[in-house]
Amino acid sequence: MDDDKQDAWLAVGFLCAIMLLFLIVDLVQEDRLFSENENRVLAKRPALSWEALASGKFMEQYEDYVSDQFVGRDNWIELKTRSELFLRKKEINGVYLGKDRYLIEQHLPEDVDAKTVASKLRLLQGLVVKYGAKVMLVPTADNVLTDKLPAYAPFYDQDELLGQARSAVGEEAYIDVASALREHAQEEIYYRTDHHWTSLGAYYGYQAWLGHTGKLTNVKYDTQGMETVTQDFLGTLHSKINLPVAADEIRFFPETLDRPVKVTYDYNTETSSLYEDSYLEGKNKYGFFLDDNHGFVEVETGYQNGRELFVLKDSYANCFIPLLTPHYERIYVVDLRYYNGRLSQLMDPYMGASTDVLVLYNCIHFLEDFQYYG
Amino acid sequence: MVFSSIIFLFRFLPFFLLLYFLANVFPDRVAQRMKNVILFLGSLVFYAWGEPVYITLMLFSTVSDYLHGRAIANCRESGSGRGRRKAKALLASSICINLFVLGFFKYADFLVGTVNFLLGTKIPLLGLPLPIGISFYTFQTMSYTIDVYRGKAGVQRNFLDFAVFVTMFPQLIAGPIVKYTDVERDLHERKTDILGISYGCRRFAVGLGKKVLLANNIGMLWEEIQVMDYASMDVLSAWLGITAFALQIYFDFSGYSDMAIGLGSILGFHFPENFRHPYTCASITEFWRRWHISLGSWFRDYVYIPLGGNRKGLGRQMFNILAVWMLTGIWHGAGWNFLLWGLWFAAFLILEKSFLGKALEHLPKIVGWAYSMVVVLVGWVFFEVEGVSQFLWYLRAMFGANGAGWYSDRGLFLLLEYFFVLAAAMFLATPVMEWGSDALERAQGGAGIALRRLLQKAVPALLLLASLAYVVDASYNPFLYFRF
Repeated sequence: MDDDKQDAWLAVGFLCAIMLLFLIVDLVQEDRLFSENENRVLAKRPALSWEALASGKFMEQYEDYVSDQFVGRDNWIELKTRSELFLRKKEINGVYLGKDRYLIEQHLPEDVDAKTVASKLRLLQGLVVKYGAKVMLVPTADNVLTDKLPAYAPFYDQDELLGQARSAVGEEAYIDVASALREHAQEEIYYRTDHHWTSLGAYYGYQAWLGHTGKLTNVKYDTQGMETVTQDFLGTLHSKINLPVAADEIRFFPETLDRPVKVTYDYNTETSSLYEDSYLEGKNKYGFFLDDNHGFVEVETGYQNGRELFVLKDSYANCFIPLLTPHYERIYVVDLRYYNGRLSQLMDPYMGASTDVLVLYNCIHFLEDFQYYG
Repeated sequence: MVFSSIIFLFRFLPFFLLLYFLANVFPDRVAQRMKNVILFLGSLVFYAWGEPVYITLMLFSTVSDYLHGRAIANCRESGSGRGRRKAKALLASSICINLFVLGFFKYADFLVGTVNFLLGTKIPLLGLPLPIGISFYTFQTMSYTIDVYRGKAGVQRNFLDFAVFVTMFPQLIAGPIVKYTDVERDLHERKTDILGISYGCRRFAVGLGKKVLLANNIGMLWEEIQVMDYASMDVLSAWLGITAFALQIYFDFSGYSDMAIGLGSILGFHFPENFRHPYTCASITEFWRRWHISLGSWFRDYVYIPLGGNRKGLGRQMFNILAVWMLTGIWHGAGWNFLLWGLWFAAFLILEKSFLGKALEHLPKIVGWAYSMVVVLVGWVFFEVEGVSQFLWYLRAMFGANGAGWYSDRGLFLLLEYFFVLAAAMFLATPVMEWGSDALERAQGGAGIALRRLLQKAVPALLLLASLAYVVDASYNPFLYFRF
């Protein structure tokens, strides 16, 4: 019995010591503003007031604060993820742990409702009717790299959406990117740690675009001659599961540097490149293409052919647009998430006889973000 | 505040325990007083953290039943017929006040909604949020006044001790429902010894692990299946889903009870057990002897037996069962689905009382178990799936009557994805681990004792470590009892 008592003292004493240690370290350590691993701003200490106390708001915020700033937060999260791996989980935090070290974002069928699809397609149709827009809807990795998915993994089948889009906008406007990508599903067309397509994926999209529009050019992109700008890209999907995985390479086509360009971001910042090296030093390395996300980008390409292009797009287009430079003298790029006015007011001044319009989204962003007011 | 949160584990609890045990520096009697003061104030902070406004309601309830208890005792002591009548009236007053508070805050909108539905009226709903734990503490205080009236419990003249009984944070928000007689002695003369404390720590670690590692993880499976379209759901997914919920609510609820019992033991209290492996039952009667025991025994002592129990003939007994299980159902939430859930069990209890129980005794135990599991799982569909048509679609999916087939890729994926969690949970829902630890407890040989000493330290430590990882990244950490 004495042994038991001794054990009890030992165990309880140890527990108290640990708890006290955590408490003290937790109270004295400095707060972090941002978590690189989780890629989000962490909660700050809330201000104390009577109203916040009475409504319970203070308590809620304080709980978030304590949890976000908890000692060794990143290590705890890693421990959790590791134990999920130990339990053979194939899906963590909305990301599939696919074959060949692919992380693939999960999109479930029940997250998409027919009403949203119908309303987005109506908006798309509007652009085709009014401006003769071409439509490129890019399936996400789960729909193309199906053999990389875990066994029986469910995914929102985007073929039905694409079929509906095709009949809504007509053959004239619909560019079949999905088939082009599926032909090359064994190549590196999506990043392993990020939800975007790679420059190679964008290239096959470009080929589909060429085939559909019949555009001609002297510039031939050589997939063997792509240049690597970084080998340490850990993208958004890596952030969601936060495990040590092999990093991706980011590559681009050097042919896109052939002629000097002038790029203007949001009407005020001018640069002479479609690529921003500074992003390669940080976490968000995909921002290398077209300086991450901007509401409005204007590109003067140096190819004086008098043609203009107006693109409505998501971030998938950022690595795609450089490939189009030989075809247009000017390219205008709009990210609708940053624009709240009437679209016609924005677009109409740019519309001339030699202006093409292109809508490029991945299917998921199309359903989530494609939105405008006539 | 919930137990499975950083704020509780690393802010509230260390400061509270520090103060609580600092009181030990004083002489025994003073220390006892101080501990009750600290426990009372700590509990108020604990409750106010989530419910800053409703704390007044809890204090009102406390004062009301404290005064009622004293008045009832005084009347009883007078010994006269008039005194006894007065005591009865006072008891009625206490019960009415408690039921009114409970009725107003928990059931008013349910009644208004039902009236509106039946009569087509448009009486506006109150829309009051339900005060957390109200169903637990009103039942606890009622047990006090009733037992004082019956002479089973001594009257508590010390307001502080009584307030500690009502507001004590370990079991305040999710049970077990502690009867006053359970802790009558502990309230004023409890001993905290190191064995009780270390047992309490172990018990708390086990409870936290049940809640955070098992319940939350399996809960995610149910959460995913719950939102699917039942009309096209395959048999596998439907059973997987409701099994997941059954395991979630068991490990969540019994985990909370373990944590409460553990905390109680640390503070020197002896709380009653609340669960005894309910999913190993061989009949529904047995299920209810193993599931939420403190609620079952509350209804038995204060409703079933006063109504006559089984002493007034089979017909009356069946009526009593029906009444008690309707109340049990509605206790879990103000909604028709909970009422039906109670009636569903009442039906099988009555069947078992009349012939089924006898029949089951002659069959292998596994038959009784299989029958019980089907009844319990279908019961959980009543409990969790709201709306008649949704409920019927779910049942159709379970029994393949929606034409969606036996299995789907989705079902297979989820089965593989949760295989180990499900297997672990099912294994731990049996008493196997308990047998193991009991055997070690009795061990005499040197090896057995050494193993016990090792496991008693290592297992809780690992559980705490793993639980903490899941608490820090609490993407899914629900509080299931917001409707109780």
